Amino acid sequence: MKRRRPGPSGVVEAPLNATAQAKAKDEGRPSVADGRLQTYEPGDNVRRFLELLSSRVSRPLAVSLTACVHCGLCAESCHYFLARPDDPTMTPVWKADQIRRIFKRHVDWTGRVAPWWIKAGSPRNDEDLNRLKNVVFGTCSACRRCTYNCPMGVDTGLLVRFTRGLLTELGVVPEGVFNVSRDQWETGNQMAVSEQDYLETLEWMRDDVRTELGDDSVEIPIDKDGCDVLYTINPREIKFDPRSIAQAAKIFHLAGESWTMPKWGWDQTNFGLFSGDDNLGAFVARNVYEAAERLRAKRIVISECGHGYRSTRWEGYTWAGYDQKLPTESVVVTLKRYIEEGRITVDPSKNPDAVTFHDSCNIARSGDLVEEPREVLRRVCSDFREMFPNRRENFCCTGGGGLLSMAEYRPLRLEVGKIKADQLRATGAKLVCTMCHNCIDGLNDLIKHYKLPMRVVQVLELVSNALVLPGKGA
Amino acid sequence: MATIEVDGKTIEVNEEGFLARPEEWTEETAKLLAKAEEGLDELTAEHWAVVTFIRAYYLEKNLAPMVRKMCQATGFPLMKIYDLFPSGPAKGACKVAGLPKPDGCV
Repeated sequence: MKRRRPGPSGVVEAPLNATAQAKAKDEGRPSVADGRLQTYEPGDNVRRFLELLSSRVSRPLAVSLTACVHCGLCAESCHYFLARPDDPTMTPVWKADQIRRIFKRHVDWTGRVAPWWIKAGSPRNDEDLNRLKNVVFGTCSACRRCTYNCPMGVDTGLLVRFTRGLLTELGVVPEGVFNVSRDQWETGNQMAVSEQDYLETLEWMRDDVRTELGDDSVEIPIDKDGCDVLYTINPREIKFDPRSIAQAAKIFHLAGESWTMPKWGWDQTNFGLFSGDDNLGAFVARNVYEAAERLRAKRIVISECGHGYRSTRWEGYTWAGYDQKLPTESVVVTLKRYIEEGRITVDPSKNPDAVTFHDSCNIARSGDLVEEPREVLRRVCSDFREMFPNRRENFCCTGGGGLLSMAEYRPLRLEVGKIKADQLRATGAKLVCTMCHNCIDGLNDLIKHYKLPMRVVQVLELVSNALVLPGKGA
Repeated sequence: MATIEVDGKTIEVNEEGFLARPEEWTEETAKLLAKAEEGLDELTAEHWAVVTFIRAYYLEKNLAPMVRKMCQATGFPLMKIYDLFPSGPAKGACKVAGLPKPDGCV
C-alpha cells in the first residue's frame, strides 16, 4: 500500500493514547476484565483487523463499498472539504477509500485480480491502523450529509461507523471514546452517575418546580407502574444541566400527563453509535426498552438529544434484536401534541427574540424528524426564521459523531466550523434552537470561537418560557 | 499542547482550554483561566466558593462534582451557577478550578 501522505491538517498523525486503557486494565475494571471492552495490545492487530473486516461485511456495506464511482459530489456536501477546499483528504470519498481499498484487496474479487488498477491495499502495521483511526474518528462527524447527496446511494456514514467498530475491537480508539464506553458499560450511563445522585437530582428539580409553580402536588415519579409516558434523558442533564429536567417536569405536570422516569434504563444516549460497537449499542438500548416493559409504560419519550434519539428510536431495536412493541418518540413530538390538543397554553410573545433552528444530523437526516420542531417553534416564538440550507440539508454543528469527547481533533473541528459559523451569522438571530446536547456544545464552541452574538436554546426551554399558567392569564 | 496568554503570562492548556497539568493549579491560574476562558475580569467571593469546593472535591475523589453537589455545598440556587460562569458548571466552573475535561457529552 502506498503510504498515505499526512494531511496538512496534521490530524492523520495524531498518536494513539492508550494511557487510560492501560490504567483500566491495571485496576481490573469490570468492563475490561470480562472482555466487553477491548484494550490495545501491540502485536498482530492487522491480521485481526482483516479477519473482522471479512466477517462483518453485510450487504448494505458491500453496496456502499463497491458502488462509488468517484464522481466527487460528496466533496461539495462536506463541511470539512468546504472549509479546506485544497485538501483532498477532507473529501468523504477519500475518507471512505481508506477502508474501501482494504476491502477491495482482501474481500472483493477486483482487488485480488488487479489490485494496482483499483488502488487496493492493505494496512501494514499498527501505525497504519492508527492513521485509519484518525481518519474515521478525527476527520468525519458522521453527519451523513454526503450520504444524503450521493447519487449512487453510498452511505459513507455507515462505512465510517463500520470502520470505527473494527478499530474499537482492537482498542485503537481515541481516549475519550474509550472512557465514555467504559463508563456506559459499567454504570449503565455515559457519565457514571450513581443511582443516589440521579434520584437526589430529580428530587431537587421536583422541589424547584414546586416552588416555581407554588404547587406541592408536582411530582417526578420514579418507577411508577402503568404510566402513559416513560421519560428518558441524557446523563449530562443530571450531572451538569438539570434545567431541562425541571422544564419537562413542569410541562408534564401542567399537561396532566401520567409519566414516570425509570430507576434503571434512564440513559437514552448510546456511545455504541459513535464507537461502532453494536454490543454496547444493544446493551444500552435494551436497558431502556426493558425499563418500559418492566414498568408497563405505553410510550417511550426521549429528551432532546440527537444521537440518543437515533439510537433509541431507530438503531437500538436492530442492535438489541428487540421487537418494537411500544411507540418511541422525541419529547418535541410530545410537546407538539400537547399544544395541538390544548393540554398546555402558550403565548409566542413571551419569546420575542429572533430564533433560528439548527437541524441535528441524527434527528433530521438520520431520524426523519423535520417539520415537528418547526411547528412547535412557530407556536412559541414570535420571530422564527430558517437558516440556509436547512432541514435534511443542514450543516453539522461540527460536534457530531462523538467528536466532543475527542479533544485531540478539536482544532480541526473548530477550523471547519467556519461553514456553520457563517450560516449562523447570516440569520441575524439572537437564539439558535437545537434538539441535541451534542449540538449545544458544538454550537457553543463555535459561538465562542467565531464571536457570534447568539445563545443556544432547546425547544423545551422555549416552550417552558412561553407557557401561560392556568388562572394567571397571558 | 496549546497555550493561552493573558496579562503577559502563559499557561499550558489542552485543546479544549482545560489546564494541561491539573495538579499545577494555583489561585493565580484560576484568575487567568477565568479571564481568558470565561471573560471574567475578577473572581468574587461567590466565584471562589464554587471553585474552592470543586477543587477540594476533585482532589478527594478524582472526579468532577455534579452541579447538585456544587449547589448543596455553596447554598446557591441552580441558576446562580450559570450566572457566575457563563459556560456553565462543566466548561466554566470546572475549567477555572483546573480540572481536566469531564468525560462524555460535554
